[in-house]
Amino acid sequence: MLFIELFIQGLIQGSTYAIIAVGLTLIYGLLRVLHVAHAGLFTLAAYLGVTVTNQFGSLSLGIVVATLTSGIVGVVIYRLVYEPILNKPPYVALIASIGLYIAMEELFRLIFGPFGLSFSSAPLQNVVVIFGIHLRACQIITVITNVVLLGILAWIAQKTRVGIGWRATVDDPEMSASFGIDPIRVRYLVFFVGSALAAVAGVLVALLTNLVEPTMGAVPSYKSLAIIVLGGLGNVFGTLIASLALGVIEAFGTIYIGDFLDRDAIAFAFLVVVLMIKPTGLFKSR
Amino acid sequence: MKKMMLIATLCFVVAGLGTGWADDTIKIGLHVPLTGFAASDGKSSTFGAELAVKQINEAGGVLDKKLELVIYDDQANPSQSIPVANKLIGQDRVVVGVSGSYSGPTRSAAGVFQEAQIPYLSAYAIHPDITRAGNYVFRTSFLGEVQGRAGAKLIGEIMDKKRVIMITLKNDFGKSLAAGFKEKAADFGITIVNEYEYSMKDRQFGAIVAKVKADNPEAIYASGYYFTAGPLISELRASGVNAPVIGQEGYDGSKFIEIAGKAAEGVIITTSLDRDSKVPETANYIAEFEKLAGYPADMVSASVHTAVKIAAQAMENAKSTDPVKIRDAISRISMKASTGTIEFNALGEVQKNVQNQIVRDGKWHHHSVIDDPELLAPPEK
Amino acid sequence: MGPYEISLATGVGIYVILAVSLNLITGYCGQISLGHAAFFGIGAYTVALLSKLGWPMYLTLAAGLSSAGIIGVIIGLTSLRVKEDFLAIVTMGVAFLFVGIVRQQEFFGGEMGISGIPSHGMTKFAYLCFVLVFAMLSILFSWYVKKAWIGFAFDAVADDEGTARTLGLDIKSYKLTAFAMGTSMAGLAGGLYAYYTRFIVPETFGFIESITILSMVAVGGIGSTFGVVFATVLLVMMPEVFRFINDYKLLLYGALLFGVMRFKPEGLSGFYTLLTGNKEK
Repeated sequence: MLFIELFIQGLIQGSTYAIIAVGLTLIYGLLRVLHVAHAGLFTLAAYLGVTVTNQFGSLSLGIVVATLTSGIVGVVIYRLVYEPILNKPPYVALIASIGLYIAMEELFRLIFGPFGLSFSSAPLQNVVVIFGIHLRACQIITVITNVVLLGILAWIAQKTRVGIGWRATVDDPEMSASFGIDPIRVRYLVFFVGSALAAVAGVLVALLTNLVEPTMGAVPSYKSLAIIVLGGLGNVFGTLIASLALGVIEAFGTIYIGDFLDRDAIAFAFLVVVLMIKPTGLFKSR
Repeated sequence: MKKMMLIATLCFVVAGLGTGWADDTIKIGLHVPLTGFAASDGKSSTFGAELAVKQINEAGGVLDKKLELVIYDDQANPSQSIPVANKLIGQDRVVVGVSGSYSGPTRSAAGVFQEAQIPYLSAYAIHPDITRAGNYVFRTSFLGEVQGRAGAKLIGEIMDKKRVIMITLKNDFGKSLAAGFKEKAADFGITIVNEYEYSMKDRQFGAIVAKVKADNPEAIYASGYYFTAGPLISELRASGVNAPVIGQEGYDGSKFIEIAGKAAEGVIITTSLDRDSKVPETANYIAEFEKLAGYPADMVSASVHTAVKIAAQAMENAKSTDPVKIRDAISRISMKASTGTIEFNALGEVQKNVQNQIVRDGKWHHHSVIDDPELLAPPEK
Repeated sequence: MGPYEISLATGVGIYVILAVSLNLITGYCGQISLGHAAFFGIGAYTVALLSKLGWPMYLTLAAGLSSAGIIGVIIGLTSLRVKEDFLAIVTMGVAFLFVGIVRQQEFFGGEMGISGIPSHGMTKFAYLCFVLVFAMLSILFSWYVKKAWIGFAFDAVADDEGTARTLGLDIKSYKLTAFAMGTSMAGLAGGLYAYYTRFIVPETFGFIESITILSMVAVGGIGSTFGVVFATVLLVMMPEVFRFINDYKLLLYGALLFGVMRFKPEGLSGFYTLLTGNKEK
């Protein structure tokens, strides 16, 4: 029973990792940029979600505003930050991104204050008991959202024209451009979708913890980097599996090997071991 | 580049002017985390110190001079606080230093103040080695161990719960609380069923909560700060764990109740600020703080307020701003402050009663007091 | 010089060693590392523990240098196996593992860190000079490496491993040499830091610190010793100069990192080239 419960808690945690990391790996797959500021958009969305919900009393409105704004800011970041330095060595974009993330964290603190925000009355906290396991509505919704969003993403990538164009651009930008696919528009699209995913994760985490702080993106900023590497950089399915696996390993690790390694280190121990055995990650990189 | 140089020069000039015209004031140095992860406590510290200075100056200042605060950010970072301490001593020529910061930066700054022989008061940092830096260093709050022992008495004797689970925050604060709790647990008949640890950055506790539920304890001793305790206690209650939760001063403040909502009801903490206090110093502080800061008083701000008040009183008692005389006056002081009556032992530690507070109807209220002098005795060396 | 200037300059000296040492690995040999602070930490912990056992300072510093260097070579072995972005993430993992392990072991002082590290026995000013001598030595060493044969070999490895291999260069041993040199210098810096603060906690040597060091290298201009030293002085001093605007200090720091990379990706050494017309690299 305990094992099942730990497994479920791991899946919930893993689902939040997955939604953030999939957005990141989409961006990496296309541009090979380690986009640390992704976690800044995650925080931005959480702040917007809570503020709008508290102001207008509607969580749905909060989610819509948060997702759209983060998506647009993501595109703007691409256009103003990454595009001009794409042909530079990879560390340039990485450090620019880290600088941007630090500045964003500080801006949130200056604008929203250092104490963090909470929902005035947190939605989706009602408890559902399934086979003796108590779960909050927001926990169930987190897992469902993960499945639905990534399902939709897979469907778009496989079945729609937009998706085919996008995959073609990832595989061979020049070839696809010669077939009339505009690579810039594909990049805008990927940044919008990726950032919107981070936004959904931000609002979900706000619901789970009822606390939005300036530094809430710090852990996702590096942990999702580890996850996308484990999943094979740019590989969406691999990232999903790696996220869920990490969530579950952390859940068991916290209880059974917590005396030896803390939760953050578990992820990286796992990562280092995997990369030593298989230098390209668990799954094939795209 | 030239522009940058110009700006830099300007900055130095402005900073120089700032220090130039201040000879008719007495300076107290304060370092707090204004940026970074601990910024919220830095903010409360600043308000606490400012309130103290405002009250002192309105009452005529110290030795007929106005008191002036010099505040610097240390980012709660031990390497940052060393130049900060040196700057307070060397450039600003403060006569007393106050730490409104965490253990790491306070421990490293304490060494600098000790070496310069300037009195230094740690407001709420709990690392046991801080006061061991030397005879110029004092602490106005409890040690983590002492509060941990009080927690054991609260659970084992006052609440009469015996099967306890510990959920320990993995930093110096949580670890020293846990050490004190374990030391005295057996004396109060407590069996520690299990101990789980989490890190400062954790906000989701599903795994620990699931295990605690399976352990089915009579009480939970959980160390942490409002930002970890809020989500933790919401999750415990949502998963159907109804055992009482006992926390400490890290929960102290209204933000904890805001995060945990209804789940906060019935949570008890050991702290040093009694919300229902009839003591004028404390009652007055609670009212004045909310007026100044715009949010209810917390333990952090009260501790810094206390430290600044003690510094001022010591100067009055010594009738001098000579560091040696201030140090002697601090070591002999006995005064009522917002966090209780302050008297220091040979090591510079304070002994005062532990105030247990409980959440009722969305507010902190008086629960009980622990005043057992033997249990609360701080180390002498 | 007052105590404030002395403590600040000592900090700058230690960071110069750190930045120059990372520049050997990342700048010269092209192996990105997001975990350099771990070696800084290994040096600091070795020195802290040994000095408390009563070892004299020169021995503890030597031990700090070698322990960091030895573990550095072991970590360097990973760079033979994984490349580029994968290497970046693995070294980042090293940063987290170091802190994750140290904070759990009572032997290393756990969360409470190690305090009561014995004094270096000098005046503050003498200790500053002591640190600056090491900083100067590391700059000179770095210049020497650049000019020597090994510098050319590093360059070749950094530019294109395939070509380097056809030239008959033993890539593996050059990479390991770079890691050995860079990490042992970081260990030395850690030792100097331990005597400077006389109190260390695990968090000081975490991921953030690694990023700080890498920023110094990148802002200075990767591979350029002069630029890196200049950037180090700038970045360490900046928070001090801007201390009077406490609240916006970190914001400015982030903005500077971002701004330099966005508008001057080759780093500040670009200005140097512009001024003198002679290109260092």
